[in-house]
Amino acid sequence: MQQQSIFVLFLVLAGIATIVFTYIFISSKKAAAEEKGMSNPLKKRFWFSLILFVILCIFITATIPKSPYYLFADETPARVIHVSAIQFQFILSEKAIDPENPSGESHIELPINELVEFRVTSLDVNHGFALYDSSNRLITQVQAMPGYVNRLRYKFKDPGEYKILCLEYCGMAHQVMRSSFMVN
Amino acid sequence: MFKNIVFIILTISFLKTTSAQTVSPSLKEESDIYEKIYDAPLILDETQPTPLHELYNTKPLLVVLIFTRCTGVCNPFLLRLKESLQFKAKKDSFNVLVMSFDPRDSIKDMNLLARRFALEDNNQWIFAVTDSIPKLNQSISFYPVWDSIRNQYDHDALLVGVNNEGYITKKLIGMRGGHDLDLLIASVNNVFSPTYRLPNKNVLFSCFNYDPKTGKNKLGLGLLFIALPAILTVLILIVIGFSVRSKASELEESS
Amino acid sequence: MASIKLNKITSVWIISVLLLFIVSIVLGILMRLNQGEVISQSPITFYSNMTTHGLTMIGIWFVAGMAAVNYIMERYVKTSYTVNVLALVLTVIGILMFWASTFIGHFHSAWTFLYPLPFKEMGSETWATLMFLGSLTVLGIGWLIWSISLMTQILKKYSIPQALAWQHLRKNPTVETPPFILISMITLIGVIACLLAAVVLLVLFYAEYFSNGNFVNDALLMKNLTYFFGHTIANEMLYLGLAVIYELFSEVSGRPKWKTTWYVALAWNCTLVFILTAFFHHLYMDFVQPQGFQIIGQLASYFASLPAAGVTVFSIFIAVYRTRIKWSLTNLLFFIGVIGWVIGGLAAVIDSTISNNIVLHNTLWVPAHFHTYNAMGNVLFSLGFFYWFSIQFSDKTKVKKSTTLTLALLLIGGIGFLLAFYIGGAESIPRRYSIYPSELSIGASLATIGAAFASIYFIAILIFFFNISKRCLKILFSSS
Repeated sequence: MQQQSIFVLFLVLAGIATIVFTYIFISSKKAAAEEKGMSNPLKKRFWFSLILFVILCIFITATIPKSPYYLFADETPARVIHVSAIQFQFILSEKAIDPENPSGESHIELPINELVEFRVTSLDVNHGFALYDSSNRLITQVQAMPGYVNRLRYKFKDPGEYKILCLEYCGMAHQVMRSSFMVN
Repeated sequence: MFKNIVFIILTISFLKTTSAQTVSPSLKEESDIYEKIYDAPLILDETQPTPLHELYNTKPLLVVLIFTRCTGVCNPFLLRLKESLQFKAKKDSFNVLVMSFDPRDSIKDMNLLARRFALEDNNQWIFAVTDSIPKLNQSISFYPVWDSIRNQYDHDALLVGVNNEGYITKKLIGMRGGHDLDLLIASVNNVFSPTYRLPNKNVLFSCFNYDPKTGKNKLGLGLLFIALPAILTVLILIVIGFSVRSKASELEESS
Repeated sequence: MASIKLNKITSVWIISVLLLFIVSIVLGILMRLNQGEVISQSPITFYSNMTTHGLTMIGIWFVAGMAAVNYIMERYVKTSYTVNVLALVLTVIGILMFWASTFIGHFHSAWTFLYPLPFKEMGSETWATLMFLGSLTVLGIGWLIWSISLMTQILKKYSIPQALAWQHLRKNPTVETPPFILISMITLIGVIACLLAAVVLLVLFYAEYFSNGNFVNDALLMKNLTYFFGHTIANEMLYLGLAVIYELFSEVSGRPKWKTTWYVALAWNCTLVFILTAFFHHLYMDFVQPQGFQIIGQLASYFASLPAAGVTVFSIFIAVYRTRIKWSLTNLLFFIGVIGWVIGGLAAVIDSTISNNIVLHNTLWVPAHFHTYNAMGNVLFSLGFFYWFSIQFSDKTKVKKSTTLTLALLLIGGIGFLLAFYIGGAESIPRRYSIYPSELSIGASLATIGAAFASIYFIAILIFFFNISKRCLKILFSSS
């Protein structure tokens, strides 16, 4: 799971930071009055910054190509689902949704291992369109912005019920704004 | 001061909204996207029918639906399309298939039509009729209605983008501007744009306008508003910097 | 040296900030208790409280930083007492108007008031939105005048290139720009830019409000402006705290003053650029934003950490490593605050990675990271300054046993409270939910745990509040 590895990475980094700071603090507590502190600080600063720079560059080159905008860009989707978010529900439909008279289908089934494109927009305020798998894990998301259609492409790997939650605060019933669909 | 700013903004926006009245996208355009177009046998000349897939496999297609006896939208629609496509950058990346949806039309009628538009020698333009009109119409949700009083079909001006696998990638209904045609051409060539705009009351302050010719976003007036705070800050900095310095030097000189 | 008037107004700032902090923490704990289903508030009450909590916190820690910078700046240049008082008055009026809009008018669009939600609220009073926009206008004007005034005072003594320490980029500079002036200048420029973004945003809001539907804004533009203002001000208030640390850390440790060098000058000038473009990372999930901007967002967020770590954090390392220094509560708070800032920064960089953001955006990971560098970073920077300010007229500088206990409470409470957020983020729990759906019930348990730890943190803050305000009241009411 991506979230778990992110969490572990964070704990490791936070742990390293804490150890370094604690070590430095203890070194100060133990220091004798005549001690001179760090030797060659400018050189050490240079190496510290350079190593950090290289690490950042490695992470950038590794992660940017994985950005959602580039996923499945050269494939033709098997299915299109139109999504109109409105305070406080999601309207899902195989057909385009009329903003004047929005209506959708109550039951949506999507194919497994095939490319699905969600065309997400909002009819009032900003909403979030977040997909949760059957183990309640956030797998992908896109914002629903009035006036624009965002095209989110995804391939479902597991069958089951997927939930849609609103992930952009949209008012008093934001917490109950949801929907679902089946993948099989 | 504040009132003036609001007034100016409102005036500009009114001017903009009144002047920029164009045909807005219709909802019907959203149907059948990524469905396959019906592989109709096409009659292109007096020889054997050619299946539609042979055409789209060679090059992506823009399919135009017309009938030759039309006294309404078909002629201006074709004329405008021809004019618009002449100046497209990626002209070689697609062909245009002009299809009749009227069973009375023969390939001879279509060839006459081609001659009338001076397109008979243009390889990019293909004129055809088919025996499978209902099936083809159904696959693209095109439903002309026969009007017996006027002796005419009542129908949309429909343009369908088909990529080289036969999938419908985008539809345009009505006579549309060059920008929408660009989007259509991009889509038949499988250029994915993760977003598009909906018809909006006010596009004056939009930040970006997607330009399918280059596949990039052109900067809009709204972007100026994002940059405005930074620009103003620099101006304030410079103005204050110079005014207090000159005052300080005046004081030094006088003392 | 600071005048009596400046001492008094700074005392008023400190007492007000701490008082409002206490109210805001209580609101925060109530929110977590509601999410934990220990208490039951109506959604509108919850979201109004959330709005109050958010903007009050941003407001007080921004003015806390500004008041501290104003106080210390008096060492280098003359600052305007009138503007300081004006800022205080406008801040108080602004906060009162804002509280009226949320507590009485039930305005609940969150402190980010993302367009067009303020116009499409249900269940709030009709006047609440206008009152909210008005309160922001008052706050914005007060803060803008204050920032421009401080910047003007700097520019009276230093030319623009000198204030930005550009001469330090060359060899053997003739004029020395103190680090405090450099950082204040860089931060004030950013503050002015983000406050001007708020002005543009508010003008567009008012234009739509008063046009009766004839003028409609573009949601993408409004979102960009919202985060230009919101992200940047939240970020700049941390840098105000850092300016204070650059000035005071060495001083209270009994060490020679920090000097501006070429890399300090370079780092802070780079920071100015990164900080004004990093806000793009709030729009990663808006695919309509051009991809170039998205990538700039990730690059700026990543590289903003370079000057921070390579210069500021490393300077702290050098100042402390194997160096015998006078540890007092002030520099201890600074030191711990820097750790909180670094750890919050790590979580922020992880979240600013576009491919991670798709599973972290608007989950509890977001409040997790910003509470880390606020509650465990910036708050400690300001508390350090408050403490230093309040004791400068007495001779107690040794760390007492009770202080160690307070610090321990602060750390235990803070870490537990933050971990509940981080685990929630890793468990895909959404942020800004008044209660959690049944399948995300782990969110409720985490919220209760978070509330419990936050209460421990709260006790520590109460102790600080009593100690510091007692001394500040003395300064306020003393005749000399």
